[in-house]
Amino acid sequence: MKKIFMIFVLAFATAVLALGQTVQVTGTVTSQEDGLSLPGVSVTVKGTTIGTLTDAGGRYSLSVPQGMNTLVFSFIGMKTQEVPIEGRTRIDIILVPDLVGLDEVVVTAMGVSREKKSLGYAVQDISSDEISRSGNTNFAVALQGKVAGLDITPTSGMPGASSSIIIRGARSFEGNNQPLYVVDGQPIVGGGGGGSTTGGSDGTGRVLDLNPADIESINVLKGQAASALYGIRASNGVIVITTKSGTRNEKGAPRISFNTINTFDEVSRTPDYQTTYSQGSSGRYSPRSSQSWGTKIENLPDDPTYGGNSKGYPGKYKVPQLVDAGYDEADTWVTPAVYNNWDEYFKTGFTTQNNILLSQAVDKGNYAIGFGETTQDGIALNTGLQRWNAKANASREFGEHWKSGFHVNYAQVEVDKLSIANDGSLAGILAAPPTYNLKGIPYNFPGDPYKQIYYRSLTFDNPYWVAENNTSYERTDRLFGNTFLEYLTKLGESLNLNVRGQIGIDTYTQASETIWGLGHKGTDPANSYVGESQYRFTNTNAIGTANLNWRVTGNQTASLLLGAEYNDNKSKNVSASGTGLNFGEWQHVNNTATPSKSESKGWSRSVGFFGQVNWDYKALVFLGATGRYDIVSTMPSANRGFFYPSFSASFVPTSLNIFANSNWLSFAKIRASYAEVGQAGSFYEPYYSAVTGYSNGWYATNSISIPYNGASAYGPGSTLYDENLVPQNTRSYELGIDLSFFNNRIGLEYTYSKQNVKDQIFSVPLAGSTGASELVTNAGRLSTDVNELVVNIVPVEAGAFRWDMHFNFMKMVNVVEELAEGVESIFLGGFVTPQVRASVGNTYPVIYGSSFARDDNGNILVVDDPSSPYHGMPQTGAPGIIGEVTPDFILGANNTFSYKNISLSSSFEWKQGGSMYSGDNGLMMYTYAVVTQTENREETFVYDGYKPDGTPNDIVRGGPNDPGAYQTLFDNVLGDIDEAFIFDNSFIKLRDVSLKYTIPNRILNKATIGASVFARNILIWTALPNLDPESSNGAGNAMGGFNRFSLPQTTSYGFGLDITF
Amino acid sequence: MKKLLYIFLAVIVMLLQSCTEEKMDEINFNPNNPTDVSSRLTLTNNMIELGVTGVGGSMMFYASVYIEHTVGDHAQHLSAEIRSAEPTSATTYNNDWTTIYYSLWSLRKVIERCSEGGPEEGAYHNLGRAQLLSAYYLAILADGWGDTPWEEALDPSTYMQPKLSSQELIYNDVFQFIDDAIANLEKDDLSNMGAQDVFYGGDIEAWIKFAYALKARYLLRLSYRTPSYNEVIAAAGNSFTGIDDQCLLTFDGTSSQTAAWYRMLQDRNSHAASLSLHEKLLSRDDPRDDIYFVPNPEGDGDLVFAENGANVDIQSLYGISGLSVADAPTYIFSYHELEFIKAEAYVRLGGAANLALAKTALKKAITAAFQKPNVGLTAADAEAYFTDNVEGLFDADPLSEVMNQKYIAFYEEEALEAYCDIRRLEAMGDDVIELKNPYNNTVGFPQRFTYGSSDVTTNPNVAAAYGTGSYVYTEPVWWAGGTR
Repeated sequence: MKKIFMIFVLAFATAVLALGQTVQVTGTVTSQEDGLSLPGVSVTVKGTTIGTLTDAGGRYSLSVPQGMNTLVFSFIGMKTQEVPIEGRTRIDIILVPDLVGLDEVVVTAMGVSREKKSLGYAVQDISSDEISRSGNTNFAVALQGKVAGLDITPTSGMPGASSSIIIRGARSFEGNNQPLYVVDGQPIVGGGGGGSTTGGSDGTGRVLDLNPADIESINVLKGQAASALYGIRASNGVIVITTKSGTRNEKGAPRISFNTINTFDEVSRTPDYQTTYSQGSSGRYSPRSSQSWGTKIENLPDDPTYGGNSKGYPGKYKVPQLVDAGYDEADTWVTPAVYNNWDEYFKTGFTTQNNILLSQAVDKGNYAIGFGETTQDGIALNTGLQRWNAKANASREFGEHWKSGFHVNYAQVEVDKLSIANDGSLAGILAAPPTYNLKGIPYNFPGDPYKQIYYRSLTFDNPYWVAENNTSYERTDRLFGNTFLEYLTKLGESLNLNVRGQIGIDTYTQASETIWGLGHKGTDPANSYVGESQYRFTNTNAIGTANLNWRVTGNQTASLLLGAEYNDNKSKNVSASGTGLNFGEWQHVNNTATPSKSESKGWSRSVGFFGQVNWDYKALVFLGATGRYDIVSTMPSANRGFFYPSFSASFVPTSLNIFANSNWLSFAKIRASYAEVGQAGSFYEPYYSAVTGYSNGWYATNSISIPYNGASAYGPGSTLYDENLVPQNTRSYELGIDLSFFNNRIGLEYTYSKQNVKDQIFSVPLAGSTGASELVTNAGRLSTDVNELVVNIVPVEAGAFRWDMHFNFMKMVNVVEELAEGVESIFLGGFVTPQVRASVGNTYPVIYGSSFARDDNGNILVVDDPSSPYHGMPQTGAPGIIGEVTPDFILGANNTFSYKNISLSSSFEWKQGGSMYSGDNGLMMYTYAVVTQTENREETFVYDGYKPDGTPNDIVRGGPNDPGAYQTLFDNVLGDIDEAFIFDNSFIKLRDVSLKYTIPNRILNKATIGASVFARNILIWTALPNLDPESSNGAGNAMGGFNRFSLPQTTSYGFGLDITF
Repeated sequence: MKKLLYIFLAVIVMLLQSCTEEKMDEINFNPNNPTDVSSRLTLTNNMIELGVTGVGGSMMFYASVYIEHTVGDHAQHLSAEIRSAEPTSATTYNNDWTTIYYSLWSLRKVIERCSEGGPEEGAYHNLGRAQLLSAYYLAILADGWGDTPWEEALDPSTYMQPKLSSQELIYNDVFQFIDDAIANLEKDDLSNMGAQDVFYGGDIEAWIKFAYALKARYLLRLSYRTPSYNEVIAAAGNSFTGIDDQCLLTFDGTSSQTAAWYRMLQDRNSHAASLSLHEKLLSRDDPRDDIYFVPNPEGDGDLVFAENGANVDIQSLYGISGLSVADAPTYIFSYHELEFIKAEAYVRLGGAANLALAKTALKKAITAAFQKPNVGLTAADAEAYFTDNVEGLFDADPLSEVMNQKYIAFYEEEALEAYCDIRRLEAMGDDVIELKNPYNNTVGFPQRFTYGSSDVTTNPNVAAAYGTGSYVYTEPVWWAGGTR
């Protein structure tokens, strides 16, 4: 108080001294929105070039020449006010936010708030309501359909399932394509997870640690120009998240808000199972077969071996598994029936989320403390998620110049998962024969829980046995947060300096447990496994910035930002595992016959220096430039440092007087930008590695573990590193136009961007005959063309009723222009065949595998050889590209109808095109014959193809005299051709619908209550048969295009309640 | 204000110190992998991998199906059985392809280390081991793939896309490696690999015998091109004298050491009891018939044989191998093979004396094969069998019986070597082992393995040789009468 008094005295004295020529006017500017003082507000004397900016406390002091009567207060995001002086020397002003859409303020790189209309590149923001209203526990999934240019692919509907978020296509063949996450000014780990495409279980992405309820707003920096200040880690775009902090509260008493969301989950789609044919092969019932090529179900009692008609059990057939289960002889004979093992297995999942937030804003500061709890019970047995979130933040001003504060977030996430692909926990659910009562028949021998009873060979486990004996568990404890100190001062009449230092850590420990219980894959104890691993990761990040704002003249403002960033990552993984449980009850590493261990450490650091200059003229022309120099430890010592520039410009013709009174055109902007950002690679000296075991590509567990009879083994590292490695470089151009018509009733934002990535760093696969397997080097180019369109329409606004439509459209073409010399495609994931690859001349990524043999015209060739069992059937051709994963376009459509306190929202997403290797569909249709596509086995058929002589195929197969033809075609021929498993992945989904009612506080005396009901993923139209297309293996660069025994998606219904007082 | 400037400068200095070249080098140090490792530790890897992948990997599992030691009754091996996809696909043997070249690359580093000017100069025994292992790997390469990258191989900094070398040239190098290995193994060297020598525990004399065994095998292999039966016999004479000398990769049957076929059965369960093999045993009233095959443990108790090429895809129906036990050894070179080699060489030389020697060798071979640990018969059993059932057949057609006995004895761990024999016999016009799979007459009998996809997709020289992969049915390798 004393200081402020002194300032007043000084100001008054100055004013007195200046008497005669000028009048000194002082005052404070605050924001109506949050009641806080506003620094950096431009205060000018109307009709002159005299002016100043408010200081850190929102204070200003200005010498006004006599005869001048009006002050103009302007600030981005606020309505400009002209205030008559009327002889006053103290004028305090409250600025009102300018709610006209395009004048909104967005948080850009390094926490700099800027007016959206001044930006030369596209950004898009999403409010907390859009994320929270449909009750998603994973914020990544909640973003689907909400932002143009984002392709978000969840892997499944299991609790905690990973998802891939790709902004404007991929930039790296093998590396990270996920965006950088910046929470409350601090870059944190957000991506990761996904796991293998071929086995094991999905790993959660670290974005799961964020509690959607804590998020106040999200801003997506899509292009490289927008994210350039963050340097090498931001080449994939940045998702800037601001958490709830109390700054938006009215000053005064603390506010408590509580919300609860309860959701019921069900499996989204049931395959159309056939109900005619029994388990077996070659038209014969076989009770241990994995397939359903058996006899007709109605004929089972006639089976010579298992039929009861000839064995004294008329109308029944024998199920040997019931003998295994110890049933009395009479009870092992059952009446043929059809079971839907899928529907019987999945249950209704339930999710509950509870959050409480205490926040307060006071004169000089604000704080918020929150807790959140999420408990999810999955649709599959033994799956679930438990998450605890706690957060606290506070900031306060100290004296005239200083401000300090902190943000801290803690998350604890526990997930129980199931395994996929070759370890598919649910393989037996997906492909169970319709005649086998999987749920009803016990899953282990009586008295021996470690000896499974199953309908098929134990290369897969019985899913009900899995629930009791196998574990795939993951627990993450994460802490991230930062503390900052800000110094604000005026360096002159119209020059403000803001220096900010911030230091933060992001650290987590992840403990994973994988157990294959005794009895896994049969009775050999060596198949059982216990694995425990601990992964510790610590990121230390410090950012310092100095920000200079300068009102050059009344028409021009400029700003300069200089800064530096220190980023250090350390990780360590230790694991202990063992195979061969000595006895089943104690699932512990110490109870394994062959224990093993491993250790892996990592350390990397980058230091960056950056700067940004912005200049604008009359709100008409905006120019900006940035530069960043990064020094990265993971590169060869000669090539560690590199510089990246970016430039952006925008022109706002509606700021010209001729548009001032335009009725139809409210706003127009043309923008352009150019940016370069890189990604660093990794470099190591040639090395040897210790061998831990040998499995030669066939075995699930090693056939030899090291030490072998006391001997160790080492081999030269088969990955070579190029010592001349340079960072890969993304050059991107972006052009855009923003238009707004009829008082912002219609808004359009169109952006075209082109990225050229050259000097890709990736592991160039070496010919095996070189001895080594890969060379990490610069090679190859990737280009991306993206068209994005955001359309906002308010078709109806009548009284209290308002209809908002919001469309996000993206068309992206992401082409691999070049790989290394002689390299046509590189492996990204998958089996021996098929695989996910990047391939020259194709979009990224592609599915690679065995194809149909075709003639020169591209027609499918059939065998024309009456002596061949494949007569009239297609053949396997050479392996090649059999599908491109990238969709043709993605359209998100969001509608909101609001009337007074009621609002109804919906969001659709339409993904058109793109292929998927649907292993599940292929297996169900061809190999296992369990779906309706295999139900017609009696009619003759002519396979759609051409004979070698060029004529259309007319060879008739099937029918009563050729009973094995369908199985030969489906199982032996098509089942071996990966291309037959490629499906169109187009879909339209009603992602969510929600209805929300808010009881206003005037009724409930200061308390606000909101109630909502919602549903997610309820309507699906898809080209993919039998399954929900958003179910795949490995989130990373497979991008949802690869599936084999993935876990299914869910449909959800729920309700929520918010109370704030 | 000044204070602020000082703080600012101090921070900049700290930042610059945090990213100096020395500091960044320290940070980028590879903490997980050493940069230098002695030959005694890398040779172990080459020995184990020879057993696990070289002679006990994909090639063995597929060859076993082609030569009807087993019937593929599920997944990839069913495809192999019915000649669909797998025999012509470049991915089928890729794992073996890359492992063999990797091992040769790793061995070349050992040879460089242990040669003149290398850090382990004078380590003659390790040099000799590396040369001998190189010979073995190189011969597998030539036997499986015919003409294949060799002269330009193993040098990624010079040749990213190695050209093919002829199988004949490669075989010259195989013999050169063996001769160099013998010379080096015979030199004095005080170093001892000890337990790291997982084949012979450091016994150099055993290695020399092993080298001569390989020499005998590969000389015999070229019989169609350059018969040299006297040299075969001479080399064999310097080699194994009993079961104790044979070269094995052993498995103790615990979960840290489980045998190849056992693991295959556990993890894939895609091989079934072969009817044609069963018939061969049955016709000789061979006591091994009851040992070689057992009923499917997941089935209903009966021992069902899979009809070669006409079987159904039911994993729990057919009998499985009785030899697929967890502690079955992998034969790098068995003593019975050496005796079979001798027997064939004597038969080929002909004449009463040689035939007598052949019969002795055959008897020794059968006796050794009967005593394989997972067969478990005795010398007396072998004696009785030889007298009752083999001798007559030998007298009637010595070559046929030697080769059929070798074929039977090689079940199931030595399928790769049996596959070489069958191809060589066909080339020499001695089609004495009858195969029953009808697909041999429709689609064809695979004469060789497809080149590995790691080269087919990155090396135009190999891609051109691979074409569509259908060459495997039509083109035998050079030593089996082919041109490439």
